[in-house]
Amino acid sequence: MDERVFIKDGIRLDGRRFDELRPIKMEVGVLSRADGSCYMEMGDNKVIAAVYGPREVHPRHLQEVNRAIIRYRYNMASFSVEERRRPGPDRRSYELSKVSREALEPVILTSYFPKSVIDIFVEVLQADAGTRTAGINAASVALADAGIPMRSLVSSCAAGKVDGQIVLDPMKDEDNFGQADMPIAITPTGEITLLQMDGMMTRDEFRQAIELAKKGCQEIYRIQRKVLIDRYSQFEDLQDEGSRR
Amino acid sequence: MSSVISEIRKDYLYNLLLRGERADGRSFTQYRPIEIERNIIKKAEGSALVKLGKTQVMVGVKIQPGEPFPDAPNRGVIVTNAELVPLASPIFEPGPPNEYGIELARVVDRGVRESGAVDLDALCIVPGEKVWIIFIDIHILDDCGNIMDASSLGAIAALLGATVPASRFGLGDDFPLPVRDIPIATTAVEFGDVVLFDPDIDEEAIADAKLTVITKADGIICGMQKSGPGMLSEEQVYRIVDIACENAKEIREKFLE
Amino acid sequence: MDRKIVIPGDLLSEDTRRSGEGTYVRNGKVYSLLYGIASFREKISVIPLAGKYLPAIGDNVIGVVKDITFSNWILDINSPYDGLLHISEFPKKIDVEDMSKYLRIGSSVMARVKDVDPAMKVELTLNDRRLGVIKTGRVVEISHTRVPRLIGKGGSMISMLKKELNCNIFVGQNGRIWVSGNEEDMDLALKTILLIEREAHTNGLTDRIVDYIKNARRARG
Repeated sequence: MDERVFIKDGIRLDGRRFDELRPIKMEVGVLSRADGSCYMEMGDNKVIAAVYGPREVHPRHLQEVNRAIIRYRYNMASFSVEERRRPGPDRRSYELSKVSREALEPVILTSYFPKSVIDIFVEVLQADAGTRTAGINAASVALADAGIPMRSLVSSCAAGKVDGQIVLDPMKDEDNFGQADMPIAITPTGEITLLQMDGMMTRDEFRQAIELAKKGCQEIYRIQRKVLIDRYSQFEDLQDEGSRR
Repeated sequence: MSSVISEIRKDYLYNLLLRGERADGRSFTQYRPIEIERNIIKKAEGSALVKLGKTQVMVGVKIQPGEPFPDAPNRGVIVTNAELVPLASPIFEPGPPNEYGIELARVVDRGVRESGAVDLDALCIVPGEKVWIIFIDIHILDDCGNIMDASSLGAIAALLGATVPASRFGLGDDFPLPVRDIPIATTAVEFGDVVLFDPDIDEEAIADAKLTVITKADGIICGMQKSGPGMLSEEQVYRIVDIACENAKEIREKFLE
Repeated sequence: MDRKIVIPGDLLSEDTRRSGEGTYVRNGKVYSLLYGIASFREKISVIPLAGKYLPAIGDNVIGVVKDITFSNWILDINSPYDGLLHISEFPKKIDVEDMSKYLRIGSSVMARVKDVDPAMKVELTLNDRRLGVIKTGRVVEISHTRVPRLIGKGGSMISMLKKELNCNIFVGQNGRIWVSGNEEDMDLALKTILLIEREAHTNGLTDRIVDYIKNARRARG
């Protein structure tokens, strides 16, 4: 294990305390071709998510008679990392696509759209540990923006273990040299839809990590909600004109 | 690469053109508003986000040491790649680049290479063994028409702001990538007698032929590509080239000098 | 009446009897299913701000022919599901081999949804005097979620538009609107419809639209 010190007097390398997220920026409706879209920065991560659908399924044999299928494609731009990455999917991006899809699937009412597909595309433009969680956060907002019926949004962030301490939202160096990394995704009512862990933690530390990550997700949820509400900020108390047919 | 466009929409666009108008009110030679943000991707040695109307393209430049080509042992290498990711359009599909993506990358590459924009002789590290490799990666984010010009613009804008990361590889001090020229691509489509520059997505859908002309700062043409199943008359080609030079000059002066 | 913007999962009420369209009930509470505008009447309903059109029986729609099979035209109706127009639903008796003479790929029609089965097979008809092939005029596309606003309460907005704009207007529930009139009137009509789409969620829209049309006419002289 590396001998570097990552936490000094309770302060991390980038000036955060153990329970602080990196700065977050979110913008909704950033793409015009997509049905829903969202751009998100979490620290030095920059991701963009687009939702297309529900739309016709190609190839047809993938259709499900009684529900929409969900596809999720997590992709990293070649220039998003220090060492240029070869374009195209690798084993890691297949796995992340799968678990991210499964993080969102439980909140989407797929039975409303039989025989169709809802496509979610996440492009990582810059990576700095936490791209999958940023992707899920952005995708969740993009789904709402596309008008997809959902039980709720999903919020996601990681907790890690660095210098023997549980910290929220590890950045690149903490992730590379830390002892554990645990991304989760969670609904506002507390159900966990993504949970991965690599490294080593005691059971007590694991509980601490969950508590911390939950707190981070709640904070992210407030930002996700705000960005959606603010989009129609010119909306005030509407009068009863032009109601539904 | 097309979706069904209704005849009624086609008729409307044609009728507009007969009246000398375009759906968004532009003149036939006019570009949509251009915005360029440079060096927004810290992990890349150079980058640019180009907005051309609603079209958005991100270009990242990565620079790493590698082997030269045997026939140019003392020169740096340029590798250009374009990803038409399915996020950018309902008709783009996941998978390795198809012929459209490859054509796009190759035309952008041609402009950069043939103009001699990058001084490749200054990018040799150990003759015959090690040179700087420049990867130009084009990532289409929102295809609302004319991704060709947006990508070319992104490529040269990213190169202009790029730094060779020599210190990271223990090869001396970082230095700015030597860029000597600013090639600009301008694209036009034809409808009967009319030639339209910077086509939007509808105009692209109803046009049969398009021509991209790339010019250097001194007005010399350094690359061209006719694309699409239609035909262009000799006269149309001359007209497009003339206007292309003027448009390129304006874009170059306004955004890149 | 109380209205506000909500997102999926927002708690709307603790009284399950108030659960209306666009909401769901869980553990005795009513939540929003959509990102949209919640209206708090006796029932609480949420109208989405975006989303795809789902065909319902009786809807008027505008479709574009994308394929022709043995006895059906297949129409894109701006929905995840295609519309099928059977040869027998064409207003006039025609032979199978003549189908593409009447409707080609790219042709537009004003149609009505005749039936939708649980597997989302959507059948269309042209059998009504007000339906048929579109040969003139223009079609503009807006989000289908803004169509109720374009129609207005009891059709108030759309009748005002037809009168003030001097145009024939056919509103497809799928967000496609056909407009027919002289060139100048159609230009203004299209601009007005797009303005209604953009400002559908704001206050006092009808009055503003009337002013907009008057000003545009005055500016033109």
